[in-house]
Amino acid sequence: MLALQLLVNGVLLGGLYVLVAQSLNLIFGVMGVVNLAHGAVIALAGLFTYWFTAQTGASPLLAVPIAFVAAALAGAVGQRLLIEPVMRAGGSKSELLSLIVTFGLSYILIELALQLFGADFVSVPYLQSSWTLGSLAFGKALVVAGAFAAGMSALLYLWLNHTMSGKALLAASQSPTGAICCGIDVARVRVTAFAIGVGLAAAAGALVIVIMPVAPQTAADLNLLAFVIIALGGLGDYVGVAIAAVLLGIAQSVAGYYLGGNAEYVLPYVLLLAVMVALPGRFRRVR
Amino acid sequence: MSAALSLSGVVAGIGPLTILQGVDLEVGEGEVVVVLGANGAGKTTLLRTIAGLLAPRAGSIRLRGEEIAGRPAHRITRAGIGHVPSGRELFPRLSVGDHLELGGQVCAPARRAELRASVLEMFPVLAERLGQRAGTLSGGEQQMVAIARALMTDPRVLLLDEPSTGLAPRIVLSVFQTFPALRKQGVSILLAEQSLTLGLSAADRAYVMDHGRMVLSGTAAELAGDKRVADTYLGR
Ligand SMILES: Nc1ncnc2c1ncn2[C@@H]1O[C@H](COP(=O)(O)OP(=O)(O)OP(=O)(O)O)[C@@H](O)[C@H]1O
Ligand SMILES: [Mg+2]
Repeated sequence: MLALQLLVNGVLLGGLYVLVAQSLNLIFGVMGVVNLAHGAVIALAGLFTYWFTAQTGASPLLAVPIAFVAAALAGAVGQRLLIEPVMRAGGSKSELLSLIVTFGLSYILIELALQLFGADFVSVPYLQSSWTLGSLAFGKALVVAGAFAAGMSALLYLWLNHTMSGKALLAASQSPTGAICCGIDVARVRVTAFAIGVGLAAAAGALVIVIMPVAPQTAADLNLLAFVIIALGGLGDYVGVAIAAVLLGIAQSVAGYYLGGNAEYVLPYVLLLAVMVALPGRFRRVR
Repeated sequence: MSAALSLSGVVAGIGPLTILQGVDLEVGEGEVVVVLGANGAGKTTLLRTIAGLLAPRAGSIRLRGEEIAGRPAHRITRAGIGHVPSGRELFPRLSVGDHLELGGQVCAPARRAELRASVLEMFPVLAERLGQRAGTLSGGEQQMVAIARALMTDPRVLLLDEPSTGLAPRIVLSVFQTFPALRKQGVSILLAEQSLTLGLSAADRAYVMDHGRMVLSGTAAELAGDKRVADTYLGR
């Protein structure tokens, strides 16, 4: 029974991780660039959700669409004004240059979060009771956040694989030249991908703070978490990344129980090192 | 009546490098024209420039009389230039059917259905592979997908960049055998090819390219008997 409890908790946590990782994966797939401001966007959106629920008394679920739309718009503007020009001017060094730009951007966002919300860890009290099923108890907040996040990832997957605009995005990420040969406006696809990726990261942030405390400094941990999942699942591989996210969720849930709370936080680092040593090819792009 | 495609004085390059040094070329309506040239002559650069993937620095590129030089590449595709690029540039994890759909996006639904039917008639093996990922196909099948994808954009002019690369002679022949049907559908063809015999066998007219310039041109029959063609290849 305990095993089942840990498994279900892990799967729910994994549902949230899928969203955390998939938004990074989307941007990477189309732009060929790892967005180092990813964790900062999640943390900032989490802190915004804290502020929003405290001010309005509304459900944090209401913060999800607000964070998504605001971040997607900001992402589109940032992509057009900052990242695209840098990538265009960078030639063969464009990937490195855009890494530096997003790294700088992450510091600006973290500083912004510090100025707006302070340095303390905060959390959003939401659905603090549990649902019980026989001898099992499930935290309602985790169930709702995990299911909501998994649902959004599922929508992303359906959009990518079952609509023409989604397939155009996959096409542009697998061969930009091939996409142009289909009459696809690749520049527009890149803005769309970046906007949706940043929007989903913010949506993830609004859900993360429901189950764990967040501070501006959490940005680095969230970046690492997303990296580990993408490295395990395969860059650009949406199904692989979803599986890796759920496995990490289960591993954390089990490790947290048997080895104590710290093990849970160390686990992503251990896995990252293990992956780098055992499967160095994982950090290459899946084509 | 204006030619399907005409270039005059086209200069283009990559970075500081000028590769095309003022190219003049014409493809008549329904014509199959081949650009022959050794390794590095500039054939791929020429086709990429026509398709808009490289912006020309000077000169004019007209599609049925309409200037297209300098337009964004995806607009040039929509204007009627189909491109089968070197290396094929397929989407390895998308299905054959997806490739056709993506190419057909630029057309109205009724026209899309017509094109799809005619493309599958031309390459029946693709009809059996619609659900298969492009990355898992054989080289010949991949080449067919690249051509089919370009044809789905309903082009007036089809650019083919060395479609023979890596294919068995029998497969190359079956690709070239589609030219008469395409011509009948009003598609003009510009083929880039290294192999003299192969290129001349498939074309009405030919140009010979060397160091980014057209050095010879004529009907396929004329050039087949011209020893200067071979001399150009050997750098004489
Ligand atoms: N990305 C690039 N950067 C620098 N030089 C390039 C680049 N691409 C091509 N070139 C150079 O431009 C010239 C023309 O190349 P291009 O690929 O157009 O020739 P090609 O006729 O298509 O050759 P092939 O038969 O080998 O395909 C060559 O000298 C080549 O070295
Ligand atoms: Mg070439």
